[in-house]
Amino acid sequence: MPQHTSLISSETTSTKKSQRTLATFMSDYGIMVAFIALCVVLSIASPYFLGVSNLLNVLRQVSINGVLAIGMTFVILTRGIDLSVGSMMAFAAIVAASFAGASADSALILPILMGLGAGLALGCINGVMVARFAIPPFVMTLGMLSMARGLTYIYSDGMPISSLSSSFLWLGQGTVAGIPVPVLLFAAIFLLAWFTLRYTAFGRYVYAVGGNPTASRLSGINVRGIIFAVYAISGTLCGLAGLMIAARTSAALPQAGVAYELDAIAAVVIGGTSLAGGKGRIIGTLFGVLIIGVINNGLDLLGVSSFYQQLVKGAIIVVAVMLDRSREAND
Amino acid sequence: MKKIFAGLAISTFTAAINTQAFAADPIRIGAATYGLQGEFMQLWSNALENHPAVMSGDIEITVFDGRYDALVQSNQFDSMITRQYDAILFVPIDADACIGPVIRATTAGIPVVGSNTRCNSDQLASFVGSDDILAGQMVAEEIIDKIGGDGKVVIIEGPIGQSAQIDRAKGIENVLAEYPGIEVLERRTANWSRAEALSLMENWLTSHQDEIDGVIAQNDEMAIGAIRAIQASGRSLDNIAVAGVDGITDALKAVQQGQMATILQDATAQAQGALDVALARLDETDSLPLSETWTKYKELDWANGEADTYNIPWTVVTSSNVETLLNQRQ
Repeated sequence: MPQHTSLISSETTSTKKSQRTLATFMSDYGIMVAFIALCVVLSIASPYFLGVSNLLNVLRQVSINGVLAIGMTFVILTRGIDLSVGSMMAFAAIVAASFAGASADSALILPILMGLGAGLALGCINGVMVARFAIPPFVMTLGMLSMARGLTYIYSDGMPISSLSSSFLWLGQGTVAGIPVPVLLFAAIFLLAWFTLRYTAFGRYVYAVGGNPTASRLSGINVRGIIFAVYAISGTLCGLAGLMIAARTSAALPQAGVAYELDAIAAVVIGGTSLAGGKGRIIGTLFGVLIIGVINNGLDLLGVSSFYQQLVKGAIIVVAVMLDRSREAND
Repeated sequence: MKKIFAGLAISTFTAAINTQAFAADPIRIGAATYGLQGEFMQLWSNALENHPAVMSGDIEITVFDGRYDALVQSNQFDSMITRQYDAILFVPIDADACIGPVIRATTAGIPVVGSNTRCNSDQLASFVGSDDILAGQMVAEEIIDKIGGDGKVVIIEGPIGQSAQIDRAKGIENVLAEYPGIEVLERRTANWSRAEALSLMENWLTSHQDEIDGVIAQNDEMAIGAIRAIQASGRSLDNIAVAGVDGITDALKAVQQGQMATILQDATAQAQGALDVALARLDETDSLPLSETWTKYKELDWANGEADTYNIPWTVVTSSNVETLLNQRQ
C-alpha cells in the first residue's frame, strides 16, 4: 500500500474537476475512435470480419480476458496490481473441474461454487497481505503467481482433468438465444462492475482510495477494507474465468493461463486506467479488451504471422499510455 | 530448509562411503526432464518409477523439473555432477543448449542417455526416443488417407524453433511435397496450447468458411482445440479430418468417438528403454534389459544396449487398438 500521497495531485483532482470530466470523456472517445477505426480497416481487409458469426467469435474469444481485466481494473484503480490472475484462474479451473466429473451431471452448482470459492480464497489471501500487512501488491501477487501455480500442480498432480459433465461444459460452449454463454457472463460482470463503480458508495471509495489513500482514511473511509475487497473481487473473477476456460476447452489444464495477467493488464492500460490509481473507467477496459481481441482475430483472418500479433499488441500498449501522458500534461 | 540440506549432505556423504565399502548400494540415476507441466513428461517420469529395477530398490531415481528453461537444466546438471550420480537420463528443452551440460557430465565420467527430445551432441552415450520427422510424416499421411490426394488443409504448429516443431514440420512437408493436389491454406503456431488452437481454428473457419478439409496439428492438445472450434461452429467432424501427435488421454478418447486420428508416442518405452540402456553402460546389472519395452516392439533391436540410437516406433491409434491403449492409462 502506498504510504506517501502527493498533495499536488489531490489538489489537481479537486480543482480541475470540470476539465477532468472532459479528459475522461476524451479518453473514452479516443479509445472508441481507435476501436472503430481498427474495425473499419479490418472489415475492408477481410470480407468475413463483420459477419455475425465472426463478431460472436471475437466476443467469445475475449470473454475470459475480459472477466480478468474487469477484476484487474478494480485493483489498478486502488494503485495496486494483480500479477496472479492467470495462476489463480488455472487453480480455480482445476478445482472446479475436479467436482464436475461426467457422472455429476445434475450438480452444476457444486463445481461453480468450488471454482468461485477457490478464486475467492486466493484473492482474500492477496487482500489480507496487501491491506493488513502492507506487502506491496507487486510483491504479494508475484508471490501468489507462483504459489497458485504450485497449488494447481499439487492439486492436479500435473495431469489435466477432462471428461467433464455436459452441464458444466455448457458454461463455455452453450448458447442462450444464439449468444454464447461466456459472452453473457462477461456482459453480466461488465454491467455489474459498471454499476458498482458508478452508482455505489463502494465504487466511489475505490476511486477515492486510489486517488488519495491518506485523505480517504482521514475522511473515514475504511481504506484497508476497500483494498482487501478489490483483491477478493479479482480472485473471484479469476474463479469465474477458470470455470469459463475449463468449460470452453473441455478440460482443466494445469499449465493453462500462463501470462494471462499481461493481456489483462494491457486491456486495462489501453483502456486508459492510470497505473497511478484513482483514474479510469470500466468502459475503457471493455474497449481495451475488445481492441486486443479484434487485433488477434483480424490478424488470424488475414493470415498474418503471430509474431506480428505480439509486436502490434505491445506497440498499442505503449502508444495508449503515451497518449494518456500527453493528455495529462495538457491538463 | 536447513534440515533438508543437512539430510542431503549426510546422504551424499554416506553414499560416498558406501560406494567404497559395498558394491550392492543402489545405483543413483538422475532424470533431467525439460519440465513436468505436461501430461507427456508426467507419464514419462511415472514410467521410470515403475521400472523393475527401481521397484526392486536396485536403482534410486531422482527426477528433476527443468521448468522449460535451458539454464535451469544446465544448473541441475552441475549439481548432479557434484553429487556424483552414476548416470543421467536427459530430456533437453533445446537441441543445442544441451551440448554443454552433456560434455561436462561426460568429462566427469557420467554417461548421459538422451530420451524423447533430441540433443545435437556426439557425446551422448545413446538416444532412446521417437523420430519426430517420422511423426510429421505419419500425421500428414493420416489426413491424406482421410481426404484423398486433393483438398485444402491447415497446419497448426508448435512453438516455432523448438526441435519437435522443426522435425514434425519437416515430416509434414516431406509428405505434402508428394501430393501437389493438397493446398495448405494456413500455417500458424498455437504454442502446443489447446486454448490458443481453439481461437485460431475459430478464426480460420471464419476466413475460409467451408473450404477446410483437414487439420494437421503437430500435437494432440492443439488438435483437440481445433475439434472444439469445429463443433462450436456447428460443422460436422465428418467433413473435416483432424489429426494430432502424442496420444494424450483426451486424444485417445476423441479417437474412440471417431473425432480425430492420432499417433501415439510411447512415453513408457522411451523412459524405461533409456534406463535400460543407461544400466547397460554402467555394467553393474545382470540380465538386461529389464523393461518390457524390448519385447513389446519386435522391430526394436536391443543390441546389448550399445547402439547410438533407439527409435521407439510410433503407434497409429485406431478404433481397434484404442480401448487397449486407454486401459493402459488407468
